[in-house]
Amino acid sequence: MKKQEFIRELALALERPDEGLQEDVLLADIPEWDSLAVISFIALVDEHFGAAVEGEKLAAATTVADLIVIVQPHLED
Amino acid sequence: MDEKTTGLINPLSLARRRILVTGASSGIGRATAELLARLGASVIVAGRDEERLARTRSSLVGDGHSQIAFDLSAIDEIPGIVARLAKEGGALSGIAHCAGVQAGRPMRIVDQNFMDDLFRVNVQSGLALARGFRQRGVPASGAAMVLVSSVSAFVGQASNVVYCATKGAVVSATKALAVEFMRDKIRVNCVCPALVETEMADRFRTTMSDEQWQGYVAQYPMGIGQPADIANSVAFLLSDAARWINGTTLVLDGGLLAG
Repeated sequence: MKKQEFIRELALALERPDEGLQEDVLLADIPEWDSLAVISFIALVDEHFGAAVEGEKLAAATTVADLIVIVQPHLED
Repeated sequence: MDEKTTGLINPLSLARRRILVTGASSGIGRATAELLARLGASVIVAGRDEERLARTRSSLVGDGHSQIAFDLSAIDEIPGIVARLAKEGGALSGIAHCAGVQAGRPMRIVDQNFMDDLFRVNVQSGLALARGFRQRGVPASGAAMVLVSSVSAFVGQASNVVYCATKGAVVSATKALAVEFMRDKIRVNCVCPALVETEMADRFRTTMSDEQWQGYVAQYPMGIGQPADIANSVAFLLSDAARWINGTTLVLDGGLLAG
């Protein structure tokens, strides 16, 4: 899966199919980024990459770009 | 010295019983297989991976154990597999169905595939095993089946709707199976564990920060469970000590739901 595809999947999970997600946006500024969105992110990573997201890394993420860094090892170039 | 000589009894004895344990490669299934063997049963350990099953099998005390690898999501093949086990190795005294999957998904990302997968493994596989168990020549005298549900059958959890639904279905199925299988002299019960320290729980734990995990565990007045805590109850329900227990649900939660 490529980066843009993952961002699109994440936007769908956050129910932002039209607005999409910009990488530099602060998670705190996304109204849909709530506790269930966090679990959705974990589930997406599990479903697409078979990988577990480390809670500490996720807790430290503040932007969409930080989320991408977490999944970067699994993304295609 | 035997019971006749000493007067001592072990109501949990499973000597000369042949019992199939699914999900035996890890966690609750492995602990159950190990305990049943210690209680004298001949255990058939079942799972997907031959190597991991072999590790469980080699850890069992006593003789007469065997292993079988099969995919529990191939629902229509399961009754035939159970029939073959009985035909080739003798009637089964029990089935401990410990296999299952836990996967949390908020409803916003739940789709048909996800629901089908969870219901197939958590509900349909147990029903198929039950169908297999009641076939003529399969159950031995005093046969019993134990399904592993979860406290999630009774407590709603955000992001766990589908899993909760599957485990609720197991509780309902247990009662109906118990009623339908009375004529076959097979008892059917289920256990409902809360969080138990298994590989599955480890994976769950890695998705939380330490602080989140500590907060989660703090809800448990007696701490989280050990696989042996569940295995003990499964063994009890399979044994003749539970001869008069049928269609029941045993909550194993260290007092979590009591408060």
